Amino acid sequence: MLLILARRALTAVPILFVVSLMLFVALRVLPVDPAAMSMPPSATLAEIDAMRSQMGLDRPLLEQYGIWLNQAAHGDFGQSLHLRRPVLRLVADTLPATIELAVAAMLVASALGVGGGLALFALRGRRAELAAESATTVLMSVPEFLWALLFIFVFGVLLQALPFTGRLDASLPRPDITGFLLLDAVLVGRVDVLWSALAHLVLPAAALGLAFAPPIVRVLRSSLLDVYHDDYIRQARLRGLSEGRILCRHALKNAALPMLTLMGVQFGFLFGGSLLVEVIYSYPGLGNLMVDAVRNADLPIIQMVGLTYCVLVLAINTLVDGLYVVLNPKLRRR
Amino acid sequence: MRPLRSGRVIAGAVIVAAVLMCALLAPHLAPHDPDDQNLIAQLLPPAWQVGGDADYPLGTDGLGRCVLSRLLFGARVAMEVALIASLGAALVGSLLAYVAGYLGGWADWLIGRAVDVWMSFPPVILSLILMTGLGTGVRNVIFAIVLVDWTRFCRVLRSEVIVVARRDYVSAARLSGFGHWRTVTREVVPATVPLLVTLLSLEMGIAVVVEAVLSFVGLGARADQVAWGQMIADGRQAIYQAPWALFAPVLAIFVTVAGFNLLGDGLRRTLDVRMVEGRE
Amino acid sequence: MTVLRAEGLTVAMGDVPVLRDIGLSLEAGQVLGLVGESGAGKSMLGRAIARMLPAGFGVVGGALAFDGADLLAMPAARHRALLGREIAFVPQEPLTALNPVLTIGRQFGEHLKRLGIPRARDAAIAAFEAVHLRDPAGLLGRYPHQLSGGMCQRVLIAMAFAGRPKLVVADEPTTALDVTIEANIVRLMAELQRGHGTAVLFITHNLRLAARICDDIAVLYSGAVVERGRGRDVLAQPAHPYTRCLQLADPPLTGPPRALYALPETMPGLRDAMRMKGCRFAPRCPVAGDECTRGSPPMGPRAACFRTELTGGIAAPSLQTQQHGVGMDNVLEAIGLRKRFATGGLFRRGGTLAVRGADFIVRDGEFVAVVGESGSGKSTLGRLVVGLETASGGRIVLDGRDVTRGGEAARRHRVATVRMVFQDPQSALNPRRRVIDLVTQTLEARGVGRSARRERGRALLAEMGLPPDAAGRMPHQLSGGQKQRVNIARALCSLPRLLVADEIVSGLDVSVQAQLLLLLARLRREHRFALLFISHDLAVVRHLCDRVLVMRSGEIVEQGAVAEVFANPRHEYTRELLAAARGH
Ligand SMILES: Nc1ncnc2c1ncn2[C@@H]1O[C@H](COP(=O)(O)OP(=O)(O)OP(=O)(O)O)[C@@H](O)[C@H]1O
Ligand code: SF4
Ligand SMILES: [Mg+2]
Repeated sequence: MLLILARRALTAVPILFVVSLMLFVALRVLPVDPAAMSMPPSATLAEIDAMRSQMGLDRPLLEQYGIWLNQAAHGDFGQSLHLRRPVLRLVADTLPATIELAVAAMLVASALGVGGGLALFALRGRRAELAAESATTVLMSVPEFLWALLFIFVFGVLLQALPFTGRLDASLPRPDITGFLLLDAVLVGRVDVLWSALAHLVLPAAALGLAFAPPIVRVLRSSLLDVYHDDYIRQARLRGLSEGRILCRHALKNAALPMLTLMGVQFGFLFGGSLLVEVIYSYPGLGNLMVDAVRNADLPIIQMVGLTYCVLVLAINTLVDGLYVVLNPKLRRR
Repeated sequence: MRPLRSGRVIAGAVIVAAVLMCALLAPHLAPHDPDDQNLIAQLLPPAWQVGGDADYPLGTDGLGRCVLSRLLFGARVAMEVALIASLGAALVGSLLAYVAGYLGGWADWLIGRAVDVWMSFPPVILSLILMTGLGTGVRNVIFAIVLVDWTRFCRVLRSEVIVVARRDYVSAARLSGFGHWRTVTREVVPATVPLLVTLLSLEMGIAVVVEAVLSFVGLGARADQVAWGQMIADGRQAIYQAPWALFAPVLAIFVTVAGFNLLGDGLRRTLDVRMVEGRE
Repeated sequence: MTVLRAEGLTVAMGDVPVLRDIGLSLEAGQVLGLVGESGAGKSMLGRAIARMLPAGFGVVGGALAFDGADLLAMPAARHRALLGREIAFVPQEPLTALNPVLTIGRQFGEHLKRLGIPRARDAAIAAFEAVHLRDPAGLLGRYPHQLSGGMCQRVLIAMAFAGRPKLVVADEPTTALDVTIEANIVRLMAELQRGHGTAVLFITHNLRLAARICDDIAVLYSGAVVERGRGRDVLAQPAHPYTRCLQLADPPLTGPPRALYALPETMPGLRDAMRMKGCRFAPRCPVAGDECTRGSPPMGPRAACFRTELTGGIAAPSLQTQQHGVGMDNVLEAIGLRKRFATGGLFRRGGTLAVRGADFIVRDGEFVAVVGESGSGKSTLGRLVVGLETASGGRIVLDGRDVTRGGEAARRHRVATVRMVFQDPQSALNPRRRVIDLVTQTLEARGVGRSARRERGRALLAEMGLPPDAAGRMPHQLSGGQKQRVNIARALCSLPRLLVADEIVSGLDVSVQAQLLLLLARLRREHRFALLFISHDLAVVRHLCDRVLVMRSGEIVEQGAVAEVFANPRHEYTRELLAAARGH
């Protein structure tokens, strides 16, 4: 298992490499001048030129990349042009919030997806099936940012039931140990902080989770339908096994395989969706950092955040692949 | 034609056609110029509510612009992006898929690795980065969507091409003396058209969403173009005073995307296409 | 004691009957064979016993009793309690009948637990020993994909017999297996059946196999039992003309070669059959008379037929002493032909040698068979010859010209000389093209005009015995036998010198098989071409071919004239194959 994970992780390394190179090149050929951006507006052209050569911007691209790579290897990912802080620090500060949100959303998506898939499967052959299926199609048409706006309006504005900005009540002290707010609240033993953090998490996580649940519903249902056409299900019935046992012991484990593949891709994309949700809920995560950086053309941040998203996606894929191998004996070597 | 008997295909086609008509006829249908600011009629509610003005059927936004007119003109941008971007992505993605799936070998390897690299970015992030470089504007949005979403076509279509290319009838055609070009165009491509059409329809819905997202964060349509995403961003500022200004574009996006999805789903069922499910 | 009794059993889809008025009984410890061609309704009986008819199907009349109890009326819970305990099933496809993600031990244990058998592990090991599986203890931890088809079937048979059931229903349990393995599985089932005194309902399309192992046989045609009798009698002295024709359509493996009798057309479809008056076999029956189309023949002591006395007189046309005139030149010469597949993934180490040094020739106008069990490299050999695979070593000379090293000129030479007929007509015919375009594909590739193509196509179809209106149809509008004819027509369109045919009659019913064999023989007389005939069916090979190559694990272990090899097999493996096919 560990070996498999290690092997998968290793295949991610070249991808990461290529991605970083592409990011670097893409951001360097842009019509923005980081040197000019990093100077006060009063700077003279000569000063900007000096800055440019100090930043290494006058050298060939590949050489610049080499320098960047070398610095990155030493843990130096550069300075934010706008915020004047090390990029690594900024990412480290915002990453836990994003992960917290994404994990919560994944839980929501998985729970809704699996529950919905089973429910839809149970309706097979009934008249309600068509309606339920069309409903998932319609639900699929609501992207996460529409859910987010809808929730704000219904629960925040109309019902005034839940908060919808930030991660925590402004009046409460923010414990800062790991950066994961829920965890920190538990560590410092503050129930009110935990409660407030949870309340702030509910809407964004639900919006994000809800948007990613319908595909899971559909894949689980269709793979269950496929599995029930297979001979071994019929053979299990012919042995007199009960329907419940056939579903739990025989069908679900097989149907989980295609679902897992999809979830890998889905959860990777979910990080993209979290960016919008963060913006809408003013949630201080990677997404807000990114959007601000984009507005300010803060290239080092864009580059680093892009890379971080990439690492997150690859990590999810690696984990899911590993899980797939565990569940599928055909891929396991004896 | 079997698809025409499917309720979903009909429902989807009707919705899409309606939105398309709105887009085409926007200059004739809209009661106002979408950019006209009426500073004495800001944040008007819809006509049927108390305080509404029959002149502004869906009310006005914070700058006193007619919501209905902006909605209609927003449909132009949405449909333009949906149609052109998805066709572009389909063209690039399917060409690469046919090359990879039919030729196999190093071409397949290379294209497969390219897809891997692309897939390691969440699409939203990738399009944001691209838009940073390209700058705002509808044409750049289209370009970014093509650059990001060709992988959706490539991935799914490639596995289908591999399945089809392994069928004996493709071998039989080769053995009858068909060249590669004729084999691909006569034997392989027709078998994948249903899948392509289905994907295309779903991709149009995705393109509408992506355009809205980009415009929402201010990286999509230029400020002088009317887009639903912008309307949402504007409407969010006045969510307490004028919720309808927010709701109108939200509803428009939802209905349009639902139309494309119903159409795609119906096509998939009636054309009996097997594909990896999943939205983004 | 009667274990299973069906009386007037009628199963229908809506108002269309699939089984009509079935009357059968099976005594304890006996084996009842249910024989019929595909679509006759054989499987429906097993499904009715399991109460698992396909959606839309239902029992609309008659009774089905197991051990005196009404199977159809009993509560579902009671019926389910019988399954696996009193009534067990052996499936057709062993490889897919076991859950791929659970170990053999888990699945067997689950079954034993339900049966209430204590000490499951020991019991499972004992059961595996009883079905002669090697290393029973090690097997428990393995997954189905790590087992061969034969091993899976043994596991499933062990499962079926584990609860000492009164009745075992086996639906084509050996169809998916090689002949050598089929013989072993059949022997094993007979052994367990005798040992436990179990009654077995053996469903098969193979009359010869049924006659060998069944006490009684019922022959099914178009949903009704047309003949019933002791196993040996039914094969030796058929009473119903249909059974007689089946027997004559099946080429013999022993005894003097004889001509085949080919029934015309095919069994009527369900709806057509419903509209027919009188005997449903009448349109195909060689001895039908006027009374046959007036009323349905009632079931007699042996057969449902008005004119049983004529059955014995049905005979195949006498065998023409055919002068094939095999020429002296070699159409195909293979010298030290080798093929290695670089296998990634499953077998990571090295590759598999699918063909290891094959030397053989095919002469002008000669029919040469390639036989061997599945995985022996037969198909790879054929694909090498036509150029679908590139050789890893050795040479291929086609009609005097070396074509081993690809190239455009070699390809053109190949296209002109050799043509392939694929096994699965379903996948070999593009479902989106019309029959007329399919058969004239070669001409299309050469840029021949449309009207010339149509003309040639129509002539070809007529020659294949296909109705003229087939030209405009799509492949899915043809029957299996018709598809295979289109397949052959396409290959013969440009009159190649050599045809490579990969299992083109396997999976078809005997009557259709006989039609195709006769067709091939006729085409050979008219056009003179050589044939490399890949097959696992030795009886068919004996009937059709002049010479035979016997392959095992990629090697040609024996080759020679068919008569010679079948009479005096020299290699151990050939003897084994022949013995298995003869049922020893
Ligand atoms: N699921 C189904 N839906 C519709 N028709 C069916 C279905 N299953 C079987 N039939 C039809 O019912 C008839 C009897 O089928 P059955 O499977 O019993 O035949 P069989 O004798 O077992 O054939 P085979 O040798 O091919 O297994 C055939 O005409 C077949 O086409
Ligand atoms: S009843 Fe007539 S048609 Fe039917 S099998 Fe007997 S002879 Fe032939
Ligand atoms: Mg059957």
